[in-house]
Amino acid sequence: MPAAPPFLHAPGPRIRRGAVLPAALLLAWAAAHSGLVNGHLLVPVEKVALVPFLDPQGIHLWPGLAASLARMAAGFTIGAAAGLLLGLSMGLSRTADRLFGPTLHAVRQIALYAWIPLLTAWFGNGEPAKVVFIALSAFFPMVLNTQEGLRTVPAAYREVARVLTLSRWQLLRRVLLPGAMPSIAIGVQLALIYAWLATVGAEYAMGLGRGVGTLLSEGREHFRMDIVIVGVLTLALVGFAINAAFGRIFARALRWRGPAR
Amino acid sequence: MTTPGSLDLRAVGKTYAVDGRPLTVLQDIDLRIEPGEFLAIVGASGCGKSTLLRLIIGLDDGYDGDILLDGHRITGPGLERGIVFQEHRLFPWLTVEENVGIGLEATSVPAAEKRRAIREHIDLVGLSGFEKAYPYQLSGGMAQRAAIARGLVNRPEILLLDEPLGALDSLTRVHLQDELLRIWTQENVTMLLVTHDVEEAVYLADRVVVMEPRPGRIRRILPIDLPRPRNRAAPAFAAVKETIIQELRR
Amino acid sequence: MPSDLIAAERGAWRPMLTMRRAPRRPERTAWLTERAAALLLPLVVPAVLLALWQLSATHGWVSVQVLPPPALVAQTLFDLLWSGDISGNLWISLRRILSGFLIGGLAGMALGIAMGLSPRVEHYLSPLFRAVAQVPSLGWLPFLILLVGIGEPLKFLIIAKACFVPMALNSFEGIRNIPPSFLEVARVFRLSRRALVLKVVLPATLPPVFSGVRLALSHAWIALVIVEMLASTEGIGYLTAWGRTLFQVDVVMAGMAVIGVVGLAMDAGLKRIERRLRRWSPARA
Repeated sequence: MPAAPPFLHAPGPRIRRGAVLPAALLLAWAAAHSGLVNGHLLVPVEKVALVPFLDPQGIHLWPGLAASLARMAAGFTIGAAAGLLLGLSMGLSRTADRLFGPTLHAVRQIALYAWIPLLTAWFGNGEPAKVVFIALSAFFPMVLNTQEGLRTVPAAYREVARVLTLSRWQLLRRVLLPGAMPSIAIGVQLALIYAWLATVGAEYAMGLGRGVGTLLSEGREHFRMDIVIVGVLTLALVGFAINAAFGRIFARALRWRGPAR
Repeated sequence: MTTPGSLDLRAVGKTYAVDGRPLTVLQDIDLRIEPGEFLAIVGASGCGKSTLLRLIIGLDDGYDGDILLDGHRITGPGLERGIVFQEHRLFPWLTVEENVGIGLEATSVPAAEKRRAIREHIDLVGLSGFEKAYPYQLSGGMAQRAAIARGLVNRPEILLLDEPLGALDSLTRVHLQDELLRIWTQENVTMLLVTHDVEEAVYLADRVVVMEPRPGRIRRILPIDLPRPRNRAAPAFAAVKETIIQELRR
Repeated sequence: MPSDLIAAERGAWRPMLTMRRAPRRPERTAWLTERAAALLLPLVVPAVLLALWQLSATHGWVSVQVLPPPALVAQTLFDLLWSGDISGNLWISLRRILSGFLIGGLAGMALGIAMGLSPRVEHYLSPLFRAVAQVPSLGWLPFLILLVGIGEPLKFLIIAKACFVPMALNSFEGIRNIPPSFLEVARVFRLSRRALVLKVVLPATLPPVFSGVRLALSHAWIALVIVEMLASTEGIGYLTAWGRTLFQVDVVMAGMAVIGVVGLAMDAGLKRIERRLRRWSPARA
């Protein structure tokens, strides 16, 4: 160990070192199965990989994933659109901010999943409750980030717009919206992630219908660790994919910010 | 009395209330700026020189007295007045070309005409080749050139310069001073420069207004009768500079 | 220096934002209207919602089963408070949070500090850590239920994990983001290792670590609600879900109100402490 905290360390053999623990875990898993423990909980590694393709239950992953994504798209569209509109109006008008802001911030404090009992009481366990729940989860990050984005456009830029006698519409289109875009982009990305988690969560909690969440809860009920693992991996991988894809899209759309951000 | 580009300040004053007490920032400013003139205002901090500029551009409303541009009292911003701020204030999400073009956004100039004006002004400030660059890709001096182009693109009668070179390093600064002079001659526009740099004022201006603080007033107006191009090392130059510095110290 | 002069000069026209012009009569009225708007406008939406809710109850627009009248919800909330149902369940929930936070949060902090100080540790552990962090609490739930059942260990593990991740991340970043220039200054002044830690590393990392605490507790609260609703027989989340099972929407709403208030109180309190810790930094980064 070097004496001073090594802040300026060269990026060493990261990949090799990073692979050690996961590999060890996998090996332990495989070894444990091949003799030591004999339980239905310890499924062999190779079996898990094949579950989505060969297993009669596991094969439901694909239609389930498609159904989940469609559900998420519906909820996200509704929630994000509503959030964008409210966020815009709150960011542009102080009156709107005062009207809705405090209520919004109060309601936001209710942990999202606490809405599920109320929503199922109101809409049943079917599609509407799920979509409303997903919409709700996409709504909050969208409102907050849109408003924050508009609010933090520097006053200096607004002054330039005044000096150049831009109309309100020109101000919005040329100054406020582009200035708020980085924050709105974060809002969209968060809304997507939240919507995805809410989709699986709603399916898991409410049952009924196909979906990754339903697959998870069925796997759990039937003590099928392999299916649970596949479901959890799907949950994580889709979240990862959403982040990666949108990170890329927004990096391109916001390239004016330059590389050093 | 009403040649385009003439600015008339008559008994201009500005008072704010700070914690309920009135604070006079500007008092009895009387000044006439001739069309095509290059006028510089120097003064210590708190002398209200930037406030004065904000009144003229129309960002700060509610003042005493009259500010007349070609005989009309100024209320609010207008395209016949352009401004360059100390920080370039280019929109980071627009390219150089678009940033200059935004100066024409509020006009009804036809698109082809706009494109021509934008190109001309980018040429004028020497930024050809950087039309598609984003502000983060520009040096401080280049960004300020683009801001000057934006200020001039709609051909204002008067260009206000609020310490536009204040944040630049001294080499770039000296270079841009010459560029300002060239642009001033080429565009034949009235220029009003606020600066804390006495040498800059003497080098550039036809007349230098010396202001004193608390409340902001005009102490003295000095015509600079040195032929251009001026030589900063010349004794006459140093003498004028010294006079102004003495005025500021008093 | 010129730049100081400029800054001071600029202060003169900040009045736009912070000062008002000499108060004349019409401006005073404007000021009063402004104050009234700031105070009253926030009440409009809740008042309208409440009125609609009451109207709906009075006129029977929707069944009482689906939307009980406001008075009934208030009554239920009061009853549950009085009977100790809320305090009892809340106490259980908070105890779960506390134990999960203490163990999970401290472990996370230890890992974050270790990774921050030693690149070797970071190289070995961070990929696995990031993989674990990538799977949300919701994902760990069915997995852990199969492993440990739905007893108290499940809640502990879920909450500990929810605290572990933000604490580790924030401690790590806190240490990594100490500007090298600070350490150079410390070297120039030949600070001892002890002084380096006390005067530089600790003050510089405290605020991000505390942000980690705030994040950890808010994640823990959310995770707690999930786990209590899906796999528990007590706790505030369970109380809410239980109301749903009995189709007593008033109980559901009372539970939501408690969850909201506790979340709000926790968040507000921690934010306040966080602001104090960061009071030396000009703009909250």
